[in-house]
Amino acid sequence: MAAIQVPTDPRLFRLAEGDETRPRLLGSHAPESDLYFWPRRLRCPVTRTPVTDVDLSPEGVLYAWTFLYVPRMGSISFGDTGGYGVGQIDLPEGVRVQAPLLGTTDDWQIGSPMGLTTFPVGRDDDGNDLVTFRFEAVR
Amino acid sequence: MATKLARDVYVIGVGMHRFNNERLASAAMADVAGMQALDDAGIGFPEVGALYNGSLGGGLTSGVGIAKEFGLTGIPVTHVENASATGSCAFGEAVHAVAGGRVDVAMALGFDDMNRMGGLGRSGGRRMGAEDVMLPAAFFAMWATRRMHDVGTTAETFAAIAAKNWNHARANPLAQRRADHEVTIDEVLGSTMISYPHTSMMACAAGGGAAAAIVATREVAERLSSGRPLVRVTASQQRSETYTDGHVFLGAVIGPAQMTRDTAGEAYEQASVGPDDLDLVQVHDAFPVEELVYYELLGICGDGEGDRLVAEGATRLGGRIPFSTDGGLTARGHPGGPTGLAQIHETTLQLRHEAGARQVQRARTGLCHMAGAGSVCVVHILQRTEG
Repeated sequence: MAAIQVPTDPRLFRLAEGDETRPRLLGSHAPESDLYFWPRRLRCPVTRTPVTDVDLSPEGVLYAWTFLYVPRMGSISFGDTGGYGVGQIDLPEGVRVQAPLLGTTDDWQIGSPMGLTTFPVGRDDDGNDLVTFRFEAVR
Repeated sequence: MATKLARDVYVIGVGMHRFNNERLASAAMADVAGMQALDDAGIGFPEVGALYNGSLGGGLTSGVGIAKEFGLTGIPVTHVENASATGSCAFGEAVHAVAGGRVDVAMALGFDDMNRMGGLGRSGGRRMGAEDVMLPAAFFAMWATRRMHDVGTTAETFAAIAAKNWNHARANPLAQRRADHEVTIDEVLGSTMISYPHTSMMACAAGGGAAAAIVATREVAERLSSGRPLVRVTASQQRSETYTDGHVFLGAVIGPAQMTRDTAGEAYEQASVGPDDLDLVQVHDAFPVEELVYYELLGICGDGEGDRLVAEGATRLGGRIPFSTDGGLTARGHPGGPTGLAQIHETTLQLRHEAGARQVQRARTGLCHMAGAGSVCVVHILQRTEG
């Protein structure tokens, strides 16, 4: 039986459900300002009015990126690639997200479409697979 | 709207322990900087009415503990921490303590050793989450790649800024990085790549050190001047974030670049000066893209024109408006708590015309800018007046 996947931080994102092919970041929407935020806010930081919980779009465009020549990210080793990519992705709601990137430098072009995905980072005390999120180029 | 400080405030003493990578005891470095500042001012610690101690890594209220070495005088001692802007905020608190009439003499002291800290980008034993990846090197590298995309900035321009600051530090005996030769653009580009397009020689020097400044009323400053030119603090401004398009709430090392433009605008208004009045500038040049962007955000040139300033050599010593005259975070160093106070130390020496081989000729007005994670921005403007 396959191990159950568990988000490292269920306040930030959830796994794909039903027919969904990608996980979702968990954000907020402020109706009065019509602004979206991630992570979730207690109230709109611009108008101080109430916000509602929303799932954000799983695809966006790459705003900026870099490749970090550091062999480890927390408990994760990148010894085979010598490091890892990170980027800022603009979602259609106007939210900019910073996250690790899947792929190589040839895959990342500013303005190109990116999609949310997950990757394993270890196991919790119950033996479940812990996963966090990153973005990959959409082909 | 930025109003004038309620009372005139002057820097009457500065001190600094050389920034270094030798893992010296922070308390000992703090003592050197603090005692130097008292000696420079010509006063004893009993004349200090309030002390603001800045440290990121010293531990809970370590600044209060360090104050005991100067004397148990019973004055209010406040531990200040605001990431990279800690020293600048400690200085700002001292300025406002004097300006607001709380005390006539206040001292700001910063001490730290970045090598002993955890913090930003270091996951330690925590469970891994994607929010942990944003090392400052990566965050500012993304500023750089976006700038390359938007403006056409080249890696050579970033390297030229870093080389300039390395070479400024050659004339600063208190700098952490002192090359024994003229540092070249090729040398900077050829150093180890850490986060594209940033190489190791473009990254700020993380290490240890201490710096201090003492501020006082005009009456105290004039009494102690002995004919030495006075250095007046004509602006002390601090801001946090306002919402901007593309606002990043999680993982941003510092907030929107607009924060620098807003803070500087308020400082110019408070001091009744503009960018054209500046003779020298210190900035949070943790990576060269920052210094490049700050040329524009501080109004030294128009948006997208910073690369031209670099090409013309306008921001090096001897140029139109020298930046990071002591080597900046790049080469003077960035221990954390004392960094902003090192900027005050350098600017005070420059305005007194005591900066030796790196003296900016006829310097009368200097601006100090720091950004801190969280995030905050602090700008001070110092001006020379005759005693």
